[in-house]
Amino acid sequence: MDIGQERVEGQAELKHAASTIPRFSPGVRSALQGYGLAASSVLMALGAALLLANYNFRGVEFPLFLMAIALTVWYAGIGPATVALALSAVAFNYFFIKPFHTLYITREDLPYYVVFLLFALLLTWFSTVRRRVERELVKSRDELQREVEIRTQQADLLNLTHDTIFVRDMNDLITYWNRGAQELYGWSPSEAIGERTHQLLRTVFPLSLEEIQLELLRAGRWEGELEHTKADGTTVVVASRWSLQCNELDKPVAILETSNDITQRKRGEEEIRTLNRELGKRTIELEATNKELEAFAYSTSHDLRAPLRHVAGYAELLQRNAAAVLDEKGTQYVSMILESAKRMGTLIDDLLAFSRIGRAETRKSVVSLNQLVREAQSEVADEMAGRKIVWNIGILPDVYGDRSMLKLAFVNLISNAVKFTGTRTHAEIAISCDERGEDGVTVSVRDNGVGFDMKYVNKLFGVFQRLHRTEEFEGTGIGLATVQRIIHRHGGQVWAESSVDGGATFYVSLSKH
Amino acid sequence: MSNTLGRILMVEDDPRDTDLTLTALQEYNLGNEVIVTRDGEEALDYLYCRGKFRGRTTENPAVLLLDLKLPKVDGLEVLQQIKADEQLKMIPVVVLTSSREERDMVASYKLGVNAYVVKPVDFHEFVNAIKELGIFWAIINEPPPGSIRRS
Repeated sequence: MDIGQERVEGQAELKHAASTIPRFSPGVRSALQGYGLAASSVLMALGAALLLANYNFRGVEFPLFLMAIALTVWYAGIGPATVALALSAVAFNYFFIKPFHTLYITREDLPYYVVFLLFALLLTWFSTVRRRVERELVKSRDELQREVEIRTQQADLLNLTHDTIFVRDMNDLITYWNRGAQELYGWSPSEAIGERTHQLLRTVFPLSLEEIQLELLRAGRWEGELEHTKADGTTVVVASRWSLQCNELDKPVAILETSNDITQRKRGEEEIRTLNRELGKRTIELEATNKELEAFAYSTSHDLRAPLRHVAGYAELLQRNAAAVLDEKGTQYVSMILESAKRMGTLIDDLLAFSRIGRAETRKSVVSLNQLVREAQSEVADEMAGRKIVWNIGILPDVYGDRSMLKLAFVNLISNAVKFTGTRTHAEIAISCDERGEDGVTVSVRDNGVGFDMKYVNKLFGVFQRLHRTEEFEGTGIGLATVQRIIHRHGGQVWAESSVDGGATFYVSLSKH
Repeated sequence: MSNTLGRILMVEDDPRDTDLTLTALQEYNLGNEVIVTRDGEEALDYLYCRGKFRGRTTENPAVLLLDLKLPKVDGLEVLQQIKADEQLKMIPVVVLTSSREERDMVASYKLGVNAYVVKPVDFHEFVNAIKELGIFWAIINEPPPGSIRRS
């Protein structure tokens, strides 16, 4: 794409030249016409000369024949002119040189005759020169026309592209403006050509124009992002490439500027940057919150347990050593203190386990749910002591996840099912895989226990949320929150369906990969 | 061997925890040979026979019961110093703490702790744990040479 200002100007000149070259007279096309013209023009000159001689006008025959020869040489070329010359010489000699009506030439007439011949030769020579000039002119014209066609085609090709291409001279005046430029900026070539580029486009440069010009002159090219204002007043950001065109003397003559509209891309990039900044800020905040939580969990773990241990310890010692002085009520109080301390210990442990899920790294592997469920069952064996439960465990899939976390989730779900079927004489718990998709599976844990009212379902998975009174069913209200947190960390979902006294079903969706 | 009783060095800042631990040990007649230090600095003073322990006999205790959260020099620092010292590194160290935090556990094991016990909240469990610790480290376990023994 090394077109430049000169080329564009040249193109215009060519067009102009082609239209102003004068069309030469068509002349005489065929040889027969040429020789006919020779004969007829000599005959007409002879006729005119004889007629004038008849009226006693003397001395006009010579120029008349010369005119006939000149006419022939002009229109028909050298061949017919020679014939015309010969015919004229014969006719001149026969009719106008004494002795008349013979072809004899007297001595005194000879110079006259020679001058006639020389004059005719001169005319012929002039005419030949003129013809040669004409041929050359026609040749140049044809070449020019071909050149114009080629250039026009090339210019049309540049118009085919949707890239923005324009050329400006060293005075910043636009000399070429393609269709892509019109599409992007909104000005037609006729509006843009002749305008000052940076005034028209209100260019905003990333560096000073002088620096860019220096770089352009040094390297012959420059690339950068510019902001332009379109005809409708909106701004665009373009990735612009400038190339310098130099003439044979290495003098810069034009700058070719090709541009791509990157407004959308820039906007996208800016949005991403903003989002990233916000994300970074939020990450820092989250990290801080996480650290606080960790500190909190640590102090919970250590500092809250110590006094609790002391309460339990001294209450125990009191119960043991002062049993004799305590009445029935006192003994009851002490055992209540012990019970509460124990309950608080469980609460702290559960809460710690819950907070640990959020902080611990997941170590994922392929986990067999059937095996996991067997292990979970044996972990809650204590709670099942003395109970008769019918287990109905289907074929469960393998999933991908953190084994110990998933086990904790299923221990909680199974423990709940065991707990809330406690009032049933025929307790039934079913664990099955309800859905096997390409990517994920849904596993359900169904019991025929006391169930819950679906209007409280939104509270089910909250921390410390309980839907039953403590004296009915023991619990800290952290189990299902823990389940949800584990499943969410695995990118899955957990939900439940139930009705009061109609049993409950908990669904867990997990990824297979 | 069942009659020999090694010296137990306990590092515990909480007097109630000390009290309860000693009570638990006394129930099994293990209370007599317990030396209690209240922070990491005092524990190190004892081990290096300096400060108020300047005059003591130079034998090492048979076991060190170490709390992690201590004033001045904390438990992990004490552990680090002991395990870095040629004379002291053979002393069995049992971390006895309220912390169930994984990072404390990992840090302790990395420093070469011999056992890590979380104090149970339930008093029965607590007494049991202390009793078993005491019996194992002070009676069953053969302490390294240079440890003090009860004749």
